[in-house]
Amino acid sequence: MRRILSSVRDGRGFDIVLVAFPLGFLFLMAGLPLIYNVVMSFQEVDMFSLGTFSRPWVGFKNYTDLFAQPETLPILYNTAIFVVGSIAGQFLIGFGLALFFWVNFPGASWLRGLFLVSWVMPGLVVGAIWNWILSGDFGVLNFILKESGIISGNIFWRSDPHYSLYAVIIANVWLGTSFNMILLSVGLSGIPGDLYEAAELDGATAWQRFWTITLPMMRSTIGAIIALGLIFTLQQFDLFAAITSGGPNNSSNVTQYWAWDLSFRQYDFAKGATISVIMIVFVMFASVVYVRSTRHEVRG
Amino acid sequence: MAIRKSVILGALALAGVSLFGLSAKAEDVKLTLWSLDKDTQPAPTLVKEFNDQHNGITIEYRLIQFDDVVTEAMRAYATGQAPDIIAVDNPEHALFSSRGAFLDISDMIKSSKVIKPENYFPGPLKSVEWDGKYFGVPKATNTIALYYNKDMFKAKGLDPNKPPQTWDELVEDARKLTDPAKNVYGLAFSAKANEEGTFQFLPWAQMGGGSYEHINADGAVKALEVWKTIMDEKLASPDTLTRGQWDSTGTFNSGNAAMAISGPWELDRMMKEAKFDWGVTLLPVPKEGAERSSAMGDFNWAIFSTSKHPAEAFKALEYFASQDDKMFKNFGQLPARSDITIPATGQPLKDAALKVFIEQLKYAKPRGPHPQWPKISKAIQDAIQAALTGQMSAKDALDQAADKIKAVLG
Repeated sequence: MRRILSSVRDGRGFDIVLVAFPLGFLFLMAGLPLIYNVVMSFQEVDMFSLGTFSRPWVGFKNYTDLFAQPETLPILYNTAIFVVGSIAGQFLIGFGLALFFWVNFPGASWLRGLFLVSWVMPGLVVGAIWNWILSGDFGVLNFILKESGIISGNIFWRSDPHYSLYAVIIANVWLGTSFNMILLSVGLSGIPGDLYEAAELDGATAWQRFWTITLPMMRSTIGAIIALGLIFTLQQFDLFAAITSGGPNNSSNVTQYWAWDLSFRQYDFAKGATISVIMIVFVMFASVVYVRSTRHEVRG
Repeated sequence: MAIRKSVILGALALAGVSLFGLSAKAEDVKLTLWSLDKDTQPAPTLVKEFNDQHNGITIEYRLIQFDDVVTEAMRAYATGQAPDIIAVDNPEHALFSSRGAFLDISDMIKSSKVIKPENYFPGPLKSVEWDGKYFGVPKATNTIALYYNKDMFKAKGLDPNKPPQTWDELVEDARKLTDPAKNVYGLAFSAKANEEGTFQFLPWAQMGGGSYEHINADGAVKALEVWKTIMDEKLASPDTLTRGQWDSTGTFNSGNAAMAISGPWELDRMMKEAKFDWGVTLLPVPKEGAERSSAMGDFNWAIFSTSKHPAEAFKALEYFASQDDKMFKNFGQLPARSDITIPATGQPLKDAALKVFIEQLKYAKPRGPHPQWPKISKAIQDAIQAALTGQMSAKDALDQAADKIKAVLG
């Protein structure tokens, strides 16, 4: 007893306590649900067996059934487009804005803060507003596009299978841009000013300075932001629920919305869990990228 | 010895007193009831009235959201905390009955003086049945019919007292009524990829001789082709594919659609918002004299099989049923009863509409009943959307749906 106590005091035991506490927390709050989810994907689950653990074991049947469904591949493809489109849009516009505010004109930081408004709004509210903007017959976006002569007839953003996915991407880009901008602004302000002064003395153009100083110095920030973006877009659910409900004909359906639809609309919890497991694999990959890119941040 | 005896006696006395005390306190049988009705709607009002009678039964009311009814109820049942009484959407009823979660109340109904099967419309009644037994009582009912704007009919040279009666007439009239320059579509309905899409399409399939078991019957394929014509010719807004019934009918109220397919739940809002003369007619049929059909919506009462007080719970249901005659007047909902004549409200438009809906209710058919209804419904929704977006022909889409449904039916 004394030895245990003293080891807690002298450091070794204390270290173990320090490690055990977060590990225990993680295991309880994240590990167990994760394992439960994986187990469920190998079982036959319906609403009545939801409360028990002893459910018929079906092996990989849920997985083979899932990939036998005709909508599976298009939905995975949609998810890829949604993730790439959203991240590209959010990052490019966010980076552009961050560079713009970096110029530091009067009121820049104040205005930059205002941009965060889009980030603090709940997704369902954003979805409802975009629902009106994107509406086919009386939508604001169609009105603007028509008045400025870009289109001649109304585009049915939510109901035309060619546009529905992009309608959600537009809304999601708007939602996530400011978050990207803030993180990138922080990254930019972390670059020492003397680097630029030295480069300028050496006669580097603004373009050269951007490519040889700004981008390399921002490497870890950019890696982190893209990994976070991947996680956030794979979590984006509210916008789909509010704007297209995944329709028409699954043209704007993505895995995260589909998992919910299978579990809570069709009560096929096993399939919902199966999709979640597939998504976990992707998110794990993103997490590894995130951890690796932030590791460089610890500079001597 | 003596001490021991007196201790036992004392204990007994104490037990007796506490038993007496408890039984005095627990005189009222406590029931719990879950429903999605809000304050001004039937369930909480009826519960309050029932409690005010002080007949030894107290009901505790809990409000649950529409989306949570099934999941909450299942979770509660699985963990042994189910309420005594619940209001459940009619296509979900069979899911519970087939698994023994709901109580078979056939015998109670047989000896009841208030609840008699012959007093109910056949559609709603069928939705509480499973395996030839009754597992609940219809709470209310609704159906869909065709609303039309009489002023627009006049403006386009159509007879406002002759609304379309067949599918061909509907398409023909919609063509005449559609006026893109004025932002007017001929028809508003919903083909959304959720239960609403199935709710609106199934009556058409049934009128064409199909059913959910034979969703690819020739008449059903024809029905979907008519829908496709309506969408392709832009006689209805392309947003029909992603818009629910409430929003679609909203465009009718604002004068942006000349006809709308929806239910009696629209009446109160329409009375307020629609600034024109309108009427309601029965859902058009494939051709004159063809079999009619319509959708059937709304909730059923059921008692959970885990209830400790089934007799008292049934008494509550009897009370609710005894108040059915006031349902339309107080709450604007239709009782599922064929023996009740709903008194006139004094508003001519509403009364005329009501007459049509009551007539239409005679042809209303439940969805299912089948324990796997959500999967069957999903197959139908997918077919509607695949056909209307032009990704499959109506025939192929419904053939695929039929295959999926066959797999579910086993």
